[in-house]
Amino acid sequence: MTLYLGVALIVAAVLLFILQPVVKGLHASLEREDDELTETEARKRIALLSLRDVEYDFLAGKLDEQDYRSLKSELTAEALAALEADEAARAMRGHPEDQDIEAEIARIRSGLRSGLVCDECGFSNEHGSRFCSSCGEALADRALG
Amino acid sequence: MTILGEFALWISLPFALWGMVLGYAGGRTQRGDLVLSAERSVYAVFFLHAIAAAGVMAAFLGDRFEYWYVASYSNAELEFFYKVTGLWAGQRGSLLFWALILGFFSSLCVFQNRKKHREFMPYVAAVLQTILLFFIVVLLFAEVNPFERLGFTAVNGRGLNPQLQNYWMVIHPPTLYLGFTAFTIPFAFAIAALLNGRLDARWIQLTRRWILTSWLFLSVGIVFGMRWAYEELGWGGYWFWDPVENASLLPWLTATAFLHSIQIQETRGMLKVWNMSLVLLTFLLTIFATFLTRSGIIESVHSFSEEPKIMIIFLSFMSAVFAGCAILILYRLPQLRSENQIESFVSRESAFLFNNVLLLGAAFSVLFGTMFPLITELITGQEISVGPPFFQRVNFPIGLALLALAGIGPVIAWRRATKRNLQKNFSTPVIVGLVVAAALWVSGAHHPLALTTWGISAFVVTVIATEFWKGTRARSRIEGEGYIPALFHLVSRNRRRWGGYIVHVAIVMVFMAFAGAAYNVDERFHVEPGDVVEVDSPMGHTYTLTYEGLSTARQNGLRNLLWQAIATVSVEKEGRSVGVLTTEKRQYTTQDPGSPPMTEVGIRSTFGEDLYLILSAVDDAGAVLAGDSNAQGIDLQVLVKPLVNWIWLGCLTLVGGAIIALWPSVDRKRVGTGESADPAAEGAVVGAAPPAGALPPAGAVG
Amino acid sequence: MKKNGRFMVGLVGVATVVTYLIWTGVSETMVYYLTPVELMQRVEVDPTFHQVGVKVSGQVIPGSYQRQDGELLHLFQVRDLVDASITFPVEFRDALPDTFTDQVEVVLEGRLREDGVFEANTLLTKCASRYEASQEELAG
Repeated sequence: MTLYLGVALIVAAVLLFILQPVVKGLHASLEREDDELTETEARKRIALLSLRDVEYDFLAGKLDEQDYRSLKSELTAEALAALEADEAARAMRGHPEDQDIEAEIARIRSGLRSGLVCDECGFSNEHGSRFCSSCGEALADRALG
Repeated sequence: MTILGEFALWISLPFALWGMVLGYAGGRTQRGDLVLSAERSVYAVFFLHAIAAAGVMAAFLGDRFEYWYVASYSNAELEFFYKVTGLWAGQRGSLLFWALILGFFSSLCVFQNRKKHREFMPYVAAVLQTILLFFIVVLLFAEVNPFERLGFTAVNGRGLNPQLQNYWMVIHPPTLYLGFTAFTIPFAFAIAALLNGRLDARWIQLTRRWILTSWLFLSVGIVFGMRWAYEELGWGGYWFWDPVENASLLPWLTATAFLHSIQIQETRGMLKVWNMSLVLLTFLLTIFATFLTRSGIIESVHSFSEEPKIMIIFLSFMSAVFAGCAILILYRLPQLRSENQIESFVSRESAFLFNNVLLLGAAFSVLFGTMFPLITELITGQEISVGPPFFQRVNFPIGLALLALAGIGPVIAWRRATKRNLQKNFSTPVIVGLVVAAALWVSGAHHPLALTTWGISAFVVTVIATEFWKGTRARSRIEGEGYIPALFHLVSRNRRRWGGYIVHVAIVMVFMAFAGAAYNVDERFHVEPGDVVEVDSPMGHTYTLTYEGLSTARQNGLRNLLWQAIATVSVEKEGRSVGVLTTEKRQYTTQDPGSPPMTEVGIRSTFGEDLYLILSAVDDAGAVLAGDSNAQGIDLQVLVKPLVNWIWLGCLTLVGGAIIALWPSVDRKRVGTGESADPAAEGAVVGAAPPAGALPPAGAVG
Repeated sequence: MKKNGRFMVGLVGVATVVTYLIWTGVSETMVYYLTPVELMQRVEVDPTFHQVGVKVSGQVIPGSYQRQDGELLHLFQVRDLVDASITFPVEFRDALPDTFTDQVEVVLEGRLREDGVFEANTLLTKCASRYEASQEELAG
């Protein structure tokens, strides 16, 4: 007798638990949450991480200069493209809380664009570089950071 | 309790069906109420299965021999521990156990994601409930219900086979099951991605930890099985290319391929179709493994004519899943196009692709060899089988190629590796590999396969050690840290990569142990008490073994033992005493009368080798038991197994590496790639500002 | 596109090597898998079949197991799983697996000698966890 009671109780409890949302109109959220990465953000992040890896690889001595230079300019171009794509997507969505992120991106982009110009070959290097990515010569000493 | 458990199993059927239908419907119609109901049904089904499993356990603990399953795998005298774990002693309970674990992981996944990844979750819940529904249907309708009654109550159960009363054999199935079922989660997300069209790397990033965890459990589960075989089967072997072993190896191989291949999709947006196919294949193989392991279709000759019901159901399910997923993949093919091309034959992308192909090739050959008897029976009516020699022939070369790739992959450049890059990164390791092989040759090791393995092992270890060294040194310079903090931070900033490198080292250790088997020693002696024998180890030293004698004990049913005969052997290594080993014969009450006694081996383990003693035969067991001290002659088999412990050590290393790779990092913004995500790091990327003076002048680098 | 071509060649090469390994592997290690009934029939039809290595599956006849004292030799009788009247004796000169019992199902590899004894090189038994008891056994 207690067995049947137990079974009935369990069935009832489970039924209630499962049917409640439909009956009472409780909804699970189906929207994408705010701090999730979008596709363009993910691409941007990957591009920037690749750049970082290249720097570390070179400093660790895994890449020789030629490879480093060519890889770096390739990746820089990709990173720029990714940044721009992301910014365009962001503008379309209009995210007000990303202001500090916007500032950060602007800083990075300006660093990429207007950088240090090499005295020897005239190549436009990124902000913060110590050696010219094109000819390898040491760039003029500046206050860094 | 047990009857309650039985009811619970029946009740779970409609709820699983409900969850399946509402999950798909909710996803299609984007109705949150349907989705919430479906998600709740996941919790409910798990709850009900927990009750069912508890019911089975209660039946074991209560010696309820009116149930077929309990009577088959237990008896009143069985130790408590084995009664509790009786749930997975046989096929029926194992299927319920599987459903239980799957329910647990499903609930965990749904709970973790109740506010996240919402565009995936409705379909994820639906897929998980579909699979659970399948298992429930099998349990209830395929004559494998653990609650089936005998129709009478047996006086006592048959008891558990003594071979299964071993620690490893108890934890081996659950560990494997944890691996198999954990993989269902990435599979569910893959299907969800196919259904909702989000086919970029997102579904991979959010299941990355599930994939790695599943792989970890699979690896460990397989090694536990090897350890059991090594200790309990009494032959000193740990792998026999037996259909059951092969069945668990198959998903491991494809999961390994998948684990690597997803990195390409994440960084370069390539191999999307590969990844979808690999996740589908791995999932199907896990289902295949559980069904093959617990039914007998491969062993029996002419198994098709026997056609157990369960075989038809499993095969139908697998075919349906395969067909459904294939259709989905074909439908989404345009969106699964690669975003980039492979630029060069010699590049990291290419190495990963070769890795995929080789692992799949190995998996295919193992599957082919295992299913060969069935295939030939279908075609010619005559069963033809292939044994270990086949599997070894095909998989040794593939294994060596994969081992080499484990050293090439980490260091070869992305996109295209220039000659300079290859020279820079590979000259030293290659030289080290050759030198090691040459040194081993000179010191007397001439076995070609073993030498090749050890040479390649040295190559891989050199590559990885260099990676650690160079990375630590660079970081130490840039950040101005000491070497130890630099190493710590280096690993901590990119746990996935460095954890992965440690796992590669673990694999090297295991391969080294496999190669050591080329030098196994196997000698047999007949000895009387006091006899001394000598056995040479390939490592150069000699063991001197003195057979001290045979002691017997009658156990009269304690722990199901009738009697034991214990042979004691004192061991000396190069003249120095290193202890005493025992090896026994045991007769159990649960063995069929007339069956020979079982053997317990004696093992002495060191880093270099195992000394493994087997009491093959007692001259006259009856006389010894009667107390005749002149009848203590025995057949003693002595094995020396070089490097075998590197398998277990490698397994530990693998666990360590995997845990590092899995360790969560604190993200400001959720990245999912395991990389540190704070924007300061990004600033450092482009405006890399090393402390003044830290950068060596160009040309002196490296 | 040239690079892609070289690449495809590499992949196809690997696939070819693997296929070759499987092919030769099969042809050099394959072994007929027979029941005792089929084995007896084959041998009658073709006496040279006594020399061929085969794999046979059957069941050990309860009570037939003996160990030869003084040497590593196990003797027992095996019967066909379907037709229990077809039997043959087996000689096995290696260590018995612990799963070996008085009435276990076995898979033997070896050859059937002219004298009617099956000389087994390897012996496998059905895995312990899969052995399912029948109603009769449980009734005791």
